Amino acid sequence: MRVVCTQLVKLFPGVRALDGVDLDLRPGTVHALLGENGAGKSTLIKVLTGVHKADGGTVLVGEGDDEPDRPVVFSGPSDAQTAGIGVVHQERNLVPAFSVAENIALQALPSRAGLVDRAGVREIARRCLAMLDLDLDLDRPVAELSVAHMQLVEIAKALATDSQVLLLDEPTASLTAEEADRLYDVVRRLREQGHVVVLVTHKLEEVFAIADVVTVLRDGRSVAGSVPLSSLTRSDVVDLMVGRAHTERELQAREVDRSTTPALELRGVSTSVGHRDVDLAVHRGEIVGLYGLVGAGRSELVRALLGLDSVTGGSVLVDGRSVTIRSVGDALRRHRIGYVTENRKEEGVFLTQTVTRNVAVTVWDRLARLGLVAERRERDLLATYQERLGIRLSGPTQLAGQLSGGNQQKISLAKWLAADCSVLVIDEPTVGIDVRTKAAFHELIVQLSEQGLAILLISSDLPEMVALADRVAVMHERRLTGEVENSHDYAAMSGRIIRLVHGEQAADAPPAA
Amino acid sequence: MKETREVDVQAETEPRKETEVDASDTRRRVRRRGVEEPPPGASPTPRLPWWANPRVGLVVVIAALVALFSSARPAFLDVDLTLVPLQRDISVFVVVGLAQLAVLSLGHMNLAVGRMAALSAFAAGLAYDRFDAPLVVGLVVALVVGAAIGAVAGAIITATGVNSFVVTLALDFGLLGVVALLYDRFAGGVAFSTRPPGMDELRSDTFFDYCIGPVCGPPVPLLLPFALVALVLVGLFFGRSRNGREVLMTGASLRAARLSGIPVGRRVVTAHALSGLLAGLAGFMLAMTNGAFSASIGDSFLLPSFLAPVLGGTLLAGGAVSALGTALGATLTSVIQKGLNLLQFEADALQIFIGVVLLVALSLDRVRQVLAERRGVRA
Repeated sequence: MRVVCTQLVKLFPGVRALDGVDLDLRPGTVHALLGENGAGKSTLIKVLTGVHKADGGTVLVGEGDDEPDRPVVFSGPSDAQTAGIGVVHQERNLVPAFSVAENIALQALPSRAGLVDRAGVREIARRCLAMLDLDLDLDRPVAELSVAHMQLVEIAKALATDSQVLLLDEPTASLTAEEADRLYDVVRRLREQGHVVVLVTHKLEEVFAIADVVTVLRDGRSVAGSVPLSSLTRSDVVDLMVGRAHTERELQAREVDRSTTPALELRGVSTSVGHRDVDLAVHRGEIVGLYGLVGAGRSELVRALLGLDSVTGGSVLVDGRSVTIRSVGDALRRHRIGYVTENRKEEGVFLTQTVTRNVAVTVWDRLARLGLVAERRERDLLATYQERLGIRLSGPTQLAGQLSGGNQQKISLAKWLAADCSVLVIDEPTVGIDVRTKAAFHELIVQLSEQGLAILLISSDLPEMVALADRVAVMHERRLTGEVENSHDYAAMSGRIIRLVHGEQAADAPPAA
Repeated sequence: MKETREVDVQAETEPRKETEVDASDTRRRVRRRGVEEPPPGASPTPRLPWWANPRVGLVVVIAALVALFSSARPAFLDVDLTLVPLQRDISVFVVVGLAQLAVLSLGHMNLAVGRMAALSAFAAGLAYDRFDAPLVVGLVVALVVGAAIGAVAGAIITATGVNSFVVTLALDFGLLGVVALLYDRFAGGVAFSTRPPGMDELRSDTFFDYCIGPVCGPPVPLLLPFALVALVLVGLFFGRSRNGREVLMTGASLRAARLSGIPVGRRVVTAHALSGLLAGLAGFMLAMTNGAFSASIGDSFLLPSFLAPVLGGTLLAGGAVSALGTALGATLTSVIQKGLNLLQFEADALQIFIGVVLLVALSLDRVRQVLAERRGVRA
């Protein structure tokens, strides 16, 4: 099935969310859909899947690879489904308590005499999983599956309705590298079977790994409409997305004074969640990267450090003094350690509260006079960080849930800066954040370290690591496998780091501090 | 592991140019999309229209009902017959509502609010009966017992992680038996017969009975200031104090609160202790109004305790409370009750009416939330 969209327009009051988008989805291709946050990707998906109705332009559908001639208008998601367009959203849309088979067949349950035809359900599930070359236990509740498997079940579910066009919205955002590879295999398989796979993503590596054709959206327009990827370089694509010549900021290797007492030091630390003999030191003005695969135990180490789990052996030193940290509040108020969590929507910000309260939450005791918090001082605080971090707000009473991801992340960071932390652990700061905001965030992190903060940066994004860190420590299965001085030479660094990730000692790694 | 994912829809429609938001169109948009929209980036702070404020709505409805009832039954405006008893009812139910509000702030519930009041009232009654305690000492005893039993509920919830609904429901059953046994054992029946000095005045006097020279006070019962003080203190606690705000943040997101350095366990205990304390105050006040410390105190507290805060715009989900709204909510329910009484409605018909009012009010609340979401401000 081929789908051609011409000059799609979607208006929201005061906003042209789509303003002339052309898209040509040919069978047997993997089509990457790129654009910064706000460029219109999600709106386009919603128009294609019948959630929104386009205000202008046409969608034509045709059989096979022929020039499509049949105009379609979807009045709801089920229309699009019937037409053969399936979607796998970022949010999980599975019923956790139902089995794999039931979830896959859910949208078109076969029934006999008013009752669900169990054999039919399993038949459908088996067929769809076979298309993906997957072997999953059909009767297992989805809740017991790994995130990666849930993702694959969702794809199978989309196939159950005979989807010829499959839209995947950031499918690898929560997958490890290996799981992502398996997903790519599935995507390639679908392509061979003549499906169109539309891939919405922020990861350019991913695009170049599996996509054939790319459409880039900017400000609701398609600035590159269905262009073969072979004709573009990585930097071409970034230019298209950002709309101006974009230079990736190269940081020079910096001199960090490591003769001083480290602001935070771990000596032979073991934790209740399985870390052993972790030695790590972060000095003032230094950015130490903690790299590893998803699941290597980096965030868990920090959580244990902050008292959310327990440190069972070794010692934790803050400014050279051995300390015991019982809670995040303890870390904050007694040791001035802040933790910008990776999970900003659930842990980083209070979505239903105002931005003012989100920033001031750590310092209410300081802002209080006679036990009452002075609202004016609270707003002054917000204004300070709004300016310093460049947070875009409509006003101090705006709810954090209504900010974009990048701005939420800045609010999450501002809360710790307001508390005057001297050590900051920043966990996956730029996941799901677009290229431009990401660059701004990187600059911010560097600035903070230049102002004397000791920063422990956790990231699974290798380019980010190489761009920011002064030193990179690598964790593998809850142990540090080595530490590399950052030369800021991506090719050399990535090689050394990847070797450490897989448990090999880098031949030229300096001894751990 | 990586649960953080960008929700593009929020940013997708971020206006690129200075725009005016047309109200009717936006409403449609919100319905259609079912997600919050970002407000225009550079516009001034958005505000809800005045009529979307639930407090304003309540004032209007109360005024309308008072007008209706007093035109139908002029006796509705009779000071001694209606207005003073009405104020006493309102005073008690404001405090009852605040007791529930204290845990609604967390997104919790206190189903034992009535029985906590009963136990507190028993303790006060015992102090008067056995120890000839002065009036104020009995009050303090009631508050302490209430706070203690509330703290116990909070501690159980924190320690076990069991839902507050279950814990307080179990507590309610337990206390039901305990209170009956205690009265049986110590009062030899279902009520204490002792009345401490000052109780009769507190029960029946108004400030009109106290004059300085020719100037007498307004016809306001002596119990009303108790409710007023509770109202102001609870309002300040949640609005301006560090602890109260931390309770609200814990209600808004437990995980985010823990990771922001808030001692969430202690805040849960704090909120439940406050709930118990206010329940104790309500029990004391009702005993004063009834003129006796009896086992039946608190029996009628549970439903009104939810009615008042919810009518006033307190969210069941936690994270947002309104003390003033609770006062207005309690006023509304008391006015309806009094008015329908005067119109000689049957008690059962009265309940139906209150149910309908609650449904209507909550539907309006939903409208308000949609408005708030689309404007990007606090409801």
